[in-house]
Amino acid sequence: MSQASMVNIRINGTPLQVPMGEKVIESARRIGVDIPFFCYHPRLSAEAGANCRMCLVEAGFVGADGSVRMMPKPQTSCSLPASEGLVIETETPLVVEARRGVLELLLINHPLDCPICDRGGECPLQNNTLHYGPRTSRFVEEKRHFPKAHPLSEHVVFDRERCIHCARCTRFTSDISGDSQLGFLKRGADMEVNTFGASAYESRFSGNVIELCPVGALLSRDYRFRGRPWDLLTQESICTRCSNGCNIKIDHRAGRLVRVSARLNEAVNEEWTCDRGKFGMGYVNAGNRALRPLLRGEEGLREARWEEAMEEVARRLREADGAAAGVGGASLPNEDLYVWQRLWREAVGSRHLDHRMGPRFEPVAEDPIAWLAHHSMGMSIADLERARAILVIGSDLVDEQPIVFLRVRKAWRTCGTRVVELRPAASGSDAGSGHVRDFAALSARYRPGSEAALVRGILAAMGEEALLGSSASDALRTAMQGWTPERAAEECDLAGETIRAAARLLAPDGLAVIAGRELTHQAHAPQALAVLDDLLAITASAGNLAVPVGEVNAQGAMDLGILPDIGPAYTKLDRSGNSAQRILEAAGRGEVPVLWLMGVDLLNAFHDRALADRALRRCPFVVYAGHFLDETAARAHVVLPLQTSVERDGSFTSCERRVQRFQRAFQVSPEVRPGWLVCGDLAARLGVPMRYATARDIQTEIARTVPIYAECTPAALGDHGVRWALPSDSGPAAGASERPAGRAEA
Amino acid sequence: MAERLLLLEHRNVDGIDQIDTYEMRGGYEGLRRAVGMDRQAVIDEVKASGLRGRGGAGFPAWIKWNSIPKDRSRPHYVICNADEGEPGTFKDRELMVRLPHMVVEGIAIAAYATQAERAYIYIRGEFVEAALSIRRAVDEAYERGYIGRAVLGRADFCFDLFVHMGAGSYECGEESALMSSLMGERGQPRLKFPHAPLPVIEGLWGAPTLINNVETYACVPHILRNGGAWYATMGTKGSTGTKIMSVSGHVARPGNYEVEMGTPLLDLLDLAGGVTGGALKAVIPGGSSVPILPADRCAGVNLDFESCQAAGTMLGSGGCMVFHDRTDIVALMRRTAQFYAHESCGKCAPCREGTRWILQVLDRITAGGGRNSDIDLLSSICDQIDGRSYCALGDAAAWPIRASIKHYRHEYEHWIAHGRSPVGDAFVPPVPRRNPRAHTLSRA
Repeated sequence: MSQASMVNIRINGTPLQVPMGEKVIESARRIGVDIPFFCYHPRLSAEAGANCRMCLVEAGFVGADGSVRMMPKPQTSCSLPASEGLVIETETPLVVEARRGVLELLLINHPLDCPICDRGGECPLQNNTLHYGPRTSRFVEEKRHFPKAHPLSEHVVFDRERCIHCARCTRFTSDISGDSQLGFLKRGADMEVNTFGASAYESRFSGNVIELCPVGALLSRDYRFRGRPWDLLTQESICTRCSNGCNIKIDHRAGRLVRVSARLNEAVNEEWTCDRGKFGMGYVNAGNRALRPLLRGEEGLREARWEEAMEEVARRLREADGAAAGVGGASLPNEDLYVWQRLWREAVGSRHLDHRMGPRFEPVAEDPIAWLAHHSMGMSIADLERARAILVIGSDLVDEQPIVFLRVRKAWRTCGTRVVELRPAASGSDAGSGHVRDFAALSARYRPGSEAALVRGILAAMGEEALLGSSASDALRTAMQGWTPERAAEECDLAGETIRAAARLLAPDGLAVIAGRELTHQAHAPQALAVLDDLLAITASAGNLAVPVGEVNAQGAMDLGILPDIGPAYTKLDRSGNSAQRILEAAGRGEVPVLWLMGVDLLNAFHDRALADRALRRCPFVVYAGHFLDETAARAHVVLPLQTSVERDGSFTSCERRVQRFQRAFQVSPEVRPGWLVCGDLAARLGVPMRYATARDIQTEIARTVPIYAECTPAALGDHGVRWALPSDSGPAAGASERPAGRAEA
Repeated sequence: MAERLLLLEHRNVDGIDQIDTYEMRGGYEGLRRAVGMDRQAVIDEVKASGLRGRGGAGFPAWIKWNSIPKDRSRPHYVICNADEGEPGTFKDRELMVRLPHMVVEGIAIAAYATQAERAYIYIRGEFVEAALSIRRAVDEAYERGYIGRAVLGRADFCFDLFVHMGAGSYECGEESALMSSLMGERGQPRLKFPHAPLPVIEGLWGAPTLINNVETYACVPHILRNGGAWYATMGTKGSTGTKIMSVSGHVARPGNYEVEMGTPLLDLLDLAGGVTGGALKAVIPGGSSVPILPADRCAGVNLDFESCQAAGTMLGSGGCMVFHDRTDIVALMRRTAQFYAHESCGKCAPCREGTRWILQVLDRITAGGGRNSDIDLLSSICDQIDGRSYCALGDAAAWPIRASIKHYRHEYEHWIAHGRSPVGDAFVPPVPRRNPRAHTLSRA
């Protein structure tokens, strides 16, 4: 807002300067003047707001002669823009009376069943009533009555009696998630929030409306009647359900996770969560958690003491003599991965380490930075807002990367970013609303496998229509490689005009490309990504390629060298080991004496289940270190129960290379250990002592020894993490260019 | 004083709703004159006429016309508000049914003056007859080249006129809610100045939009044909021209009467044949939203914006409702409150909750369950709505109740004390409402 012109206003006699057009309710906050509200929310449209009338203030203007003319009616400060000479009074008798009146009206039909309401204790209606409301009610008529629990979706229950019709939930679905699932039906005192035709509320972000609701009208099915907010303990944490790195708060009680809510981080999730995260952290207390070490005996797996299990594993690793292999790790924190790879490379003496589950296992060491550019995000999530155009290719983004999706949608809605969606025909089901195609300027389906031709066609169209500056023409001619839009159209099974339209939307510069699974999981992905690189280079947007990883810490696994041919920070190893594919093939032939599975349900995660199955069958000693007694754990010879992120300290690296820490919330069982402790213990048993007492020790060591994490010290990580920068971040990328090379951004 | 027929002069002429007859009586002369003039000259003519909006607020029409940006960087729109829903008002309906071409001509002149490329006439959903009449008139005007490409040979004047029917909501007569509805959204009001730009800057689809009432547009052809100065000779200094008053209630000849602004209210009642069935008790001069005027205050009140205001009421939309002395004011207010509770759009808390509460209290009083504190309670609820609701519907719901308490407090007290009507046998009990508790969720 620095460019916005400033205006002089006066609030309760205090003069202040604020940006022109700022809502008065925000201006008041600058000088600590509290204005109560229900419907106002800075991220939701003001047009459908200003309806609760709680934030009424008296407003007036200073005239030319210096006198103040007050407006005859009180005004809603949530929608009133600041302008020169505005005078605001927030504590006059009229305002006090107006607030009291609004609260009385809001409460006449509110059931006041606060003792059994989930919101009780953290309810804006309760709080505002305490401070501004009437002491008693004069309402003697019958209140409105409705069924108490109206099921809106599989996660959200609606209590219509409590609703104060603030339109926060309806605006969320139309403004933020874009699925427009909730709206108002009927009118006047009969008005109700509902879905169209009372169908189910289908959204990937439905949980947010529970947090937005200023009363206990929208409730979580999981949390309903499960606790009082003042009985819960809260721990700041990071969501583990995908790689976006949402900042969350975990509310827990007596060793059980009770609910998850969003934690503000403007750079990542703002204040949103997706349903997968908000309702998907229950695995922490799931019945299939591994809670004790297990050893395979005569009659299958039996409970064992840690000492016994560790000694057995150490013996096997010693015997394996460097032929042991490790697979997995993408779901575990950085500290575990760092110590694990040290254990493997220094104590076990094995080079066979890989976190990838396929189908692609290309060598990394030849050009690690180029490889990384095709396996990570070139720009940050927040940078998407600065792109002039975004190409989403081969991805059902809302499903794959929900928070990246919200940012793309925000860019489109608030910055006017043009969005083009290209996906292979017959790609997975994407029924319903709330997808990229709903707001994309162009959405098309190409013949699977024709991505390279498609992008060359777009480049050719850019050339033909002279959409780019003359400086790009040579590079363009090279990149076109003799393609024409029409030839590409035939190849891709699209209309030539579609390709030309895409070219017009994506040119000339400030482009960002997001490539998803439907592209990156194909064998020809390297060629297609190379052409996308050409597209970005020619549109002066080099480096703006986003290939977000899938699993929560797959990025950290890459950074810390859980790969066969590179070590931490993408340093080449003298001799490379086997990829996960090779490891399992060797194990399938019985050539791997010890197979260590790190937090991975191999049978269900690996791209080739038959191969995984064969490997598990033929390997003489399978170590499973992880959270669950899943299908794979049941086939292991030893199960080492590891703590989840909720039970311990640590850090994850999100898909945009943001290192974010989390801290222990509660303990599930004293028999469950953090992965780094298990790996360090084993290393000591193998004669390489590693003296780590806490996760913080390891974070400090990582910052010291891994150059790319040099700024990710425990102190610097703070509440919002640190994003480590690629050398290419200094390139001419749109938006990303303000950051100097090699520097981390807080 | 007699009627002063200007708009309604030819209302009984056979076939005046057809273009030939209308043209023979001087129709579209105003448009021809306008198109021959500079656009600004047309606006100046309207300014000279002193024409004030006939929808109820009485805002000077020319200021709106003149505020439309003079450049065409964005499309301009003209809207005719024909969502005449104010109880007691039925002037626009008659204009549209009988004199549709006058309305179309007025809109065309406005479109010319404001360089609009599209005009919409938003007709109340129940006005099927009016909509048919307007639609026929629009078709005829297209054929004659008064609407469409290069109107009257002026290549720079092209506009289309669309007829849009509402779906039955009083709120959609509020200009911003009307625009929401026209844009396909829920019929709820939008932010207004100073919270958002005026419609003349950002109205329909964010483009400059002129919105006026049917009667306002109907005045325009006469102003253009005879000159603004001539028009201003009629009426009073502050309220020029004529006003169509819809007289209803306990009068011998209810109907629309066109009088000069400033005509005494009691003269209007005489024009309508005088009060029947008893002596005059009260008049609501400008539609159900305006404060009620007891008989003893009617003398000296003239039908212009200023005089009505001075008398503590408003000229409003000209829906003049007359009540004889056997009218139960509390029952009248209960019926009024029922209307506003039914028509509240539900957007803002004061109106949504307050209008229903007023009705519930009045229901209880007229069912014999009144309490002594109820009168103060009603006043207090009115205070909580008035000036604090999102749009003027809340104010309109509060004013009549408050005025009725001011002038007829004794009738409320009688109801509360005795549980029955002060007018005795003349009281007609209200039609029972549907059980207000019979709310069920659509998908229970």
